Amino acid sequence: MKGVSTQKKSTGYQRVVLKNSAPVLENESTRLSAVEFKQFIITGLKILYGEVGAALTFDVLKYDEDSRTAFLRVPSRGLVKLWSSLTLLGSYQDQACAFRILQVSPFLLALTGNSRELQLD
Amino acid sequence: MSVDVCEAPHCQLVCENSSFLDEENSLVSLVQQLHFNYKVSLLIPDCSSAPSHLDSVINSFSSFVLIKNMPVSEFIDKDFLETAVYPGSVCALSYRTRIGEDNCVALMPNGRLRLSLDRHSYHLLGIEGKVSKFRSKGRHIVSVDLTDSSMAPGGRGYDRLLSGLTCRLPLTSDFLLSHQQGVQSCLKSLLSRYDWSELRPEVSTKVLHQLTCPSDLGSCDAYSVMDWLGAVDAGISSSIGSSSSFLSTYTCPGPQRMATTALSISVSGFLLPHHVQILIMEVRQFLEQSSSPWASLTVHGFTDNVVSCCENEHGRLRGGVNFYTLLMSKGHDYKLLIVTGSHDSCSP
Repeated sequence: MKGVSTQKKSTGYQRVVLKNSAPVLENESTRLSAVEFKQFIITGLKILYGEVGAALTFDVLKYDEDSRTAFLRVPSRGLVKLWSSLTLLGSYQDQACAFRILQVSPFLLALTGNSRELQLD
Repeated sequence: MSVDVCEAPHCQLVCENSSFLDEENSLVSLVQQLHFNYKVSLLIPDCSSAPSHLDSVINSFSSFVLIKNMPVSEFIDKDFLETAVYPGSVCALSYRTRIGEDNCVALMPNGRLRLSLDRHSYHLLGIEGKVSKFRSKGRHIVSVDLTDSSMAPGGRGYDRLLSGLTCRLPLTSDFLLSHQQGVQSCLKSLLSRYDWSELRPEVSTKVLHQLTCPSDLGSCDAYSVMDWLGAVDAGISSSIGSSSSFLSTYTCPGPQRMATTALSISVSGFLLPHHVQILIMEVRQFLEQSSSPWASLTVHGFTDNVVSCCENEHGRLRGGVNFYTLLMSKGHDYKLLIVTGSHDSCSP
């Protein structure tokens, strides 16, 4: 074995990805485009943390309009802000709604191999 | 007193640059030690279809069975011990049990039975174990070597375990079982007593067109490599490209190039390490003959696995991450990236 290097998590490099943070809406027929989805989350950040929260950088890597599920990517220092604002977002256009966080990982690759999604029967 | 609420899930990343020719490389032992593999993903740029020999290896992952409501005591049934445990090569893992919440069971090919039990179940079982390293809700780990002489049917240890699993703690669960020589032929009598189904690993093949990829994957830092491979695997790559987009600023890392085609294959199920080893050899051989500059192979372990590599304890906390990525280039060099969660005692 040559050139072995062990590297522990470095906060500077860490990415935290929230997979399938799906808003559950009262009216199932309501549709959100990807842009509306991101704007909705920014609104939630602004309500809870003000302008500083609204300026938090996060990405919507992938969004599925039908299931309203998305892959969100946020630097680790912003995870708690994003997660808490998603938790407290309770309404969308006067309809009750809730976000469900399905998986969180510092590695995007980890989210593509979740054995809990294995459905055999 | 202030509490740091900015804690993100912790993970450990180990990077290893080595050569297949190096006899001391840890790749072979790592692959063989991880018995409970859920998914294997393969990405080969500049390739539009797998050659027949690679295709046949991908489709040769052995089938496995799902047995419903089987008592754990069946693992120490005399007939099962003789036909499956003593010859080795049988793997079993409780299915749909959540580590940290439920009682989880794993049987390894070397004949070790590992149980992760909550405090109440542990006391009922009455077999000596250890407190979980992660001390989650009084969880205990019981490990029994079924090949040990004291565990031979009729022995004192055997009788104690049998009475524990049949009278004091009659644990039952759905199980995934796999055997190198084929499950049906080796476990006929066991299967005849329960509701079971034979399952084939699911193979998914995608040909990606016009894929923006790093021109030198080996020179990118490990975090960027894994983010990019994850993006490709999750089908995010098509939207990558603009760093000023409102939705996402994610871009392909490092100097980029456009691969006209790329082959993305994934196999998921209950996969044995033996087949992963064969696949690695086949991909190496393929790289030597093709124009593809590199290939990446990612192996994901089961999230709710009781054991990690070296038979250490595995827990979940918020992620249960345990996977490794092997970046193979032409020649014999490789880069191995091993990721484990904070509740994993794997130390490769």
